[in-house]
Amino acid sequence: MIMIPDDAVERLLESAQAIGAVCDKANVQQWEVYATQGYGHSLEIEAGRISMASGGGEGGFGIRVVEDGRYGYAHLVDPNSASRAIEQALSIAKRSPSIEGFELPGNNPATKVGGMMDNAILDLGPEDLLEQGDQILTRVAELDSRAVAVGGGVGVGAGAGVIVTSSGIQDGGIHTSHGLGIHVSIDEDDHLTSSYEGESSRSLLKDLTASVDKAVHWSQATREVIPGGETEDCPILMTSDGFSPLFSVVVPTAIKGERLARGESFWSGKMNQNVIADHLSLVDDGLMEGGMSSGSRDDEGVPSRTQTLVESGRLIGELWSTRDAAKLVAEGKVSSAESTGSASRGGHTAPPVCGCSDLTLSSSAKTLSRDRLIEEMENGYVVHSVMGAHTANPTSGDFSVTTSTILRVEDGQVVGSLSQAGLSGNMAKALAGRVVLGDSQKRKGSYSTGSMHVPDILLMDGLRINPA
Amino acid sequence: MVVTTRQSDSPLSSGKMLDEDKITKALNFASSLGAEYAEIRLVSETTNTASLKDGKLERAIPGQEVGVTMRILADGAWGVHSTSDISSITEQVESTFRLAKAVAARRSASQTVVELAEVPIIQDEIHWKSAKDVRDTDLDKRIEMMLAIDNEAKDDERIVSTSTGWSDEHIHTELMTTEGMNRVWSFQRSLINGMVTARDGDEVVSYRMRHGGEGGLEVIEACDLGEMGRNAKISAIRLLSAERAPSGRIPLVADRDLTGVYIHEALGHPCEADLVAAGDSCLEGRLGQTIGSEICTVVDDPTMRGGYGCYPIDDEGVNPRPKNLIVNGVLTEYLNHRETAHRYDLEPNGGARAQDGLHHPLVRMSNTIIQGGSHRDLDELIEDIDYGIYACGSRGGQVDTGRGSFQFAAQEAWIIENGSLTRPVKDVSVSGMTLQILKDVDGLTRDSHLAAPGFCGKGQTVPVGDGGPLMRIKEALVG
Repeated sequence: MIMIPDDAVERLLESAQAIGAVCDKANVQQWEVYATQGYGHSLEIEAGRISMASGGGEGGFGIRVVEDGRYGYAHLVDPNSASRAIEQALSIAKRSPSIEGFELPGNNPATKVGGMMDNAILDLGPEDLLEQGDQILTRVAELDSRAVAVGGGVGVGAGAGVIVTSSGIQDGGIHTSHGLGIHVSIDEDDHLTSSYEGESSRSLLKDLTASVDKAVHWSQATREVIPGGETEDCPILMTSDGFSPLFSVVVPTAIKGERLARGESFWSGKMNQNVIADHLSLVDDGLMEGGMSSGSRDDEGVPSRTQTLVESGRLIGELWSTRDAAKLVAEGKVSSAESTGSASRGGHTAPPVCGCSDLTLSSSAKTLSRDRLIEEMENGYVVHSVMGAHTANPTSGDFSVTTSTILRVEDGQVVGSLSQAGLSGNMAKALAGRVVLGDSQKRKGSYSTGSMHVPDILLMDGLRINPA
Repeated sequence: MVVTTRQSDSPLSSGKMLDEDKITKALNFASSLGAEYAEIRLVSETTNTASLKDGKLERAIPGQEVGVTMRILADGAWGVHSTSDISSITEQVESTFRLAKAVAARRSASQTVVELAEVPIIQDEIHWKSAKDVRDTDLDKRIEMMLAIDNEAKDDERIVSTSTGWSDEHIHTELMTTEGMNRVWSFQRSLINGMVTARDGDEVVSYRMRHGGEGGLEVIEACDLGEMGRNAKISAIRLLSAERAPSGRIPLVADRDLTGVYIHEALGHPCEADLVAAGDSCLEGRLGQTIGSEICTVVDDPTMRGGYGCYPIDDEGVNPRPKNLIVNGVLTEYLNHRETAHRYDLEPNGGARAQDGLHHPLVRMSNTIIQGGSHRDLDELIEDIDYGIYACGSRGGQVDTGRGSFQFAAQEAWIIENGSLTRPVKDVSVSGMTLQILKDVDGLTRDSHLAAPGFCGKGQTVPVGDGGPLMRIKEALVG
């Protein structure tokens, strides 16, 4: 392997065990050591050329200690300084509230999840990546001589991760990733159109040009600008790329057990009630083969699972981490709760928090191709990307964003694009209205934890377009 | 891995961490291979974060992270290596040099060769001392400060939850280059924030607050935290009964937070010279042109002590200075780093910033602010507006620098009718085109200062300050 040492996991495990031994020596009641070490190569594209190539690695250790239901956390990069970090974590634990019933997870058997690592990625070197960059740039030029790749890049990574706990969990593995992003613009006749597209995978991306094709397509498709009309409440077809960012800001937050219990979610108090259209279901799958946010265990060692959160429009599940579940039970906010294997963290520098893994929105009704969705809509707009998705309000579900990749549809036909428009509405209400899903599931990154698997979606109700 | 977890008693927090002899040898080796330039930059960050949920400690995390990045310029192209294992960096010279050469080999004859503008070569140390070193603040004090917000924010049955957070950092940077630059600098930032959630039946809303800046504990102590909590509570409760905002092109008055976000998104990003060079800025080729109203003067100032985006030295070792981006409506300066300063034959102005020791520097903003105008106050700004929006508090924004379109969102707003604020509305977002809306600014109040601190994402996240006076735009797309 070029990218990561053959014994990366073993070395991390050995260090984590050594830190655990220091915890034992200090008579820590319960402890957890989470360790990561990542390596990667990447290149940046700018102004139609490869502007920089880089490589490197980073990693470290996170230590969580629990004493009488109180927890503390510290992180470090050198295992030899574990004593000091453990001392800090214990000191913080003493200041933390005691949560009755809070203990670190036990060692329960976990299901192996396939597709987390691709040897083809491990064997990629910087020169291979530069060749991929060449392919991307060549493709842009082939598709449209006016098009320029103004930004983007390609990256590959491999990371080793382990978790070792006082309750006997000892697990680890290697995961890989391959991703690309491409920002294409066409600037002609004082009129600039552009599109950013990207994709990533645990395995080697088979077709590097798919994103390029899409970026060039949307840069071309939005060049026929027609005058914007009046503000109107109308059907909107959001492509998977346009919908995922908004969905990822609002929905994963709304289904956290703690937020539901505290009244912080627009779905609070609605367990077992219909909350979205009755043909829609929402499943969080921590066991998805090759899932970017899946694995045999969550980030505190609880076996991952596949959990239905909304079934046929009815809210039936929620996401819990171990501590959140114990805390809300202890506070009397819920009568019972337990971990759903939904702990995640951004790395070794933070303790686990509750979040989704690979979240899928699906429909039991007939799904349609994009062309058929446009016909179904009759009159409205197609929105392919939005600006400001992160400003959506996850508490209320309200959002008000801007789009420059928007097509006007009249009588089931695209008649032109708008230069810019506002798009506003409420995610919860829109999903509870008339909805038709597209027929292909796309995985997209996320503004929150987890990965979103949402298709194109036709939202017939509750959205407003405000042309510039 | 050779760095240990240490706090303020650590000799590494003020002393040098790079082994000068080894780094000098590595840099000399890069030169001997044929590199035009090489640098090694180390950043050590001593951090503390903490949060309360409903007044109870949710988490407290002390940490020390170290990263080191080597950049090598060879044949006019960059190779970069970053690692948290600082002892290994000197072993990566040859591979990083080869990487740069491989990038250069792909450059066509028509593409630009990277060269760096000349800057003063300095060997020194600059340490911005905080009045109250934040590393001396214990967890009890942090909790006390967060509770000062929390206690005032939850005093209403409609408030269903409160969250408060704390973040402080001591940043220590060392930079050595083949040109002989050898600089060390350090400074601190402190931040406190909170969010209240209010509920009435099915209506649920949240309101966020944030205060912070460059410096230590004194930054937080300067804020009336109780008032911040009370105001957030009042705003959240008011939002429960607020109507949905109207849509359309209407006059807009923005408070300092939104004025800051507006100027950051609409003007600041397109002024970043690396985006100009990438062909991704609507301001390309417009230096010297009038792009805004003559009442608009905008400065980006990393030397504005106390601002959340301050820094004593930029991440290429250049002394930063205030940049006059717009003077009376005329675009006068881009933010630049050494590469773009050379490309556009500009004076380097110290705009290079990296997220941390594991990232390479990009052109970034610091503290971006519109200078004050001639209006006395809000009343005078709105007195001749028949129908419009007064929008307050930022939920963030975004810009498409190439198209020159931007969007930002307000936390709360009021309808202006016949020169008076009448009723609250919610979910206001504003969008527009940079080159149009800057011309539509037709009123600014006299007093201008930084608003709440923020974070800016551009592949890397850096702390920034922004603000200004209250600002009136004669017509903006609200919806």
